[in-house]
Amino acid sequence: METKTESGSTFTAQNHYPSEPEIDKWMNEAFNMAKEALEKGEVPVGCLMVYNSEVVGKGRNEVNESKNATRHAEMVSVDQLLDWCGHRDLDVKSVCERTVLYVTVEPCVMCAAALRLLQVSSVVFGCRNDRFGGCGSVLDVSSADLPQTGTKFQCVSGHRAEEAVEMLKTFYKQENPNAPKPKTRKT
Amino acid sequence: MEPQVKRLKGSLYDSDSWTALPVLSDDQSQDIQLVQAYAAPIVNKRETSRLVRELNLRYPLAGLQHIKRVRACKEKGSPHPLEVLVCLVSQVPDSKDATTDSLFSSEGVRPDGLGELFVVQVPSRPPLTRPQFELASKHWPTSFHEDKQVTVALKGELFSSAQKANMHGHMMSAVAAARAAQELGMEAVGAVVVDSATQRVVAVGHDCRRDHPLHHAVMVCIDLVARSQGGGCYSFDKYPECRFTAPESSHDDRVCDSNTGSQPYICTGYDLYVTREPCIMCAMALVHSRIGCLFYGTSSADGALGTKFKIHSLKDLNHRFEVYRGVLRSQCEDLNRNRKDLEN
Repeated sequence: METKTESGSTFTAQNHYPSEPEIDKWMNEAFNMAKEALEKGEVPVGCLMVYNSEVVGKGRNEVNESKNATRHAEMVSVDQLLDWCGHRDLDVKSVCERTVLYVTVEPCVMCAAALRLLQVSSVVFGCRNDRFGGCGSVLDVSSADLPQTGTKFQCVSGHRAEEAVEMLKTFYKQENPNAPKPKTRKT
Repeated sequence: MEPQVKRLKGSLYDSDSWTALPVLSDDQSQDIQLVQAYAAPIVNKRETSRLVRELNLRYPLAGLQHIKRVRACKEKGSPHPLEVLVCLVSQVPDSKDATTDSLFSSEGVRPDGLGELFVVQVPSRPPLTRPQFELASKHWPTSFHEDKQVTVALKGELFSSAQKANMHGHMMSAVAAARAAQELGMEAVGAVVVDSATQRVVAVGHDCRRDHPLHHAVMVCIDLVARSQGGGCYSFDKYPECRFTAPESSHDDRVCDSNTGSQPYICTGYDLYVTREPCIMCAMALVHSRIGCLFYGTSSADGALGTKFKIHSLKDLNHRFEVYRGVLRSQCEDLNRNRKDLEN
């Protein structure tokens, strides 16, 4: 009962901090999603949202097929979580507060902000994201002082990081057929 | 060919009522930084070029290439017309009792023709804007490679009245969309996506947070643009004020959206008008979408394009864009005010 005197976020974070076997299990599924993305010609990132040991959202990057550059794995998973809550008539905020998000690559600045807005309590990720990372690499949105932008969340990083990086490297070695042709400079 | 502006009258199109100002990077907008240095009067003017040559060798001003070594003396009628920058205070090991003689006791520089040392503050970084240059020059003369567009933009004079009339019209559409959202009980925020080359409106959207907590006006517009290109994930059809127009028929190459002649690619070549400064999620979504230029009406508390962050100017990111604030400012402020009235 004593822990209830602590602040809400700390209380939930402690209660829902994932154990090593849980991380192994859920990250394995996230990696499977990332592999699927790679096969479909998308940036290989996979994501899972777990609430009370149940997968309530699952996604992989689908930017190219949707022609919407915001369709990152996390955003796709969030949509599933919202549907899941809708079907059960559950309050999104109270579900998110007890949800852990597993993702193979550090969430970008946009996704980190989205997770704050939804008040997701914890994020477990594989490798860092030097290009776009919003949990410390480019910016630290997860712990920034943004009173109008939801709540801060805690991160656990480094799980199968090398494997996640290798997948990204494999992808970026291929050419992006959708990118505009670079303009050649006249010399 | 007098632009149509003149015929559009009344407050609705009074584009003189606002000024669009650039939201510059931190480097461009911060106060100048100063560093302490030793200077000395040049008593014998004929020694000047030798002193400068020898000082450049003995005390090179590493990283301070913008600093002019010699300046004309500030006070008129001073016995010595020139002053020379000797070195940074940090370049001297024991700076407490530095004198002209002690600084030159080693080899390289003959102090002939130099007067007594004094300490000055010099700008530590090259000025990037005219205001920075004017501040820097008060301390010590610097060189300045002026970006004329930034200078004009800071004066609020970058856009012609014809351009402002276009901007005015687009932001009016965004305000109308914001009002529609407000009437539906959602946040009063609206946004419009425009093809910058043709000024054709590609999408109009507003806040739809009642249906989805992340459907801020900008996110809605990004998906509407995707739908205009045959993609997209959501339907906003139940909201008449959320709409898109597909690129004009592709059989006519002349109306192809991008200059490269290829199909439109996410928000490349498009500008966005939004009634208030985007949050960090929306700002980064616009980076991912490669937006061309962004205009907003008013700032917001956690805004990421000027207030809390300047996402559009981060060097680490692979896409940067220009941001202007203040378009239709008072109408956009009214939207926020209405919201507060409702809350109270």
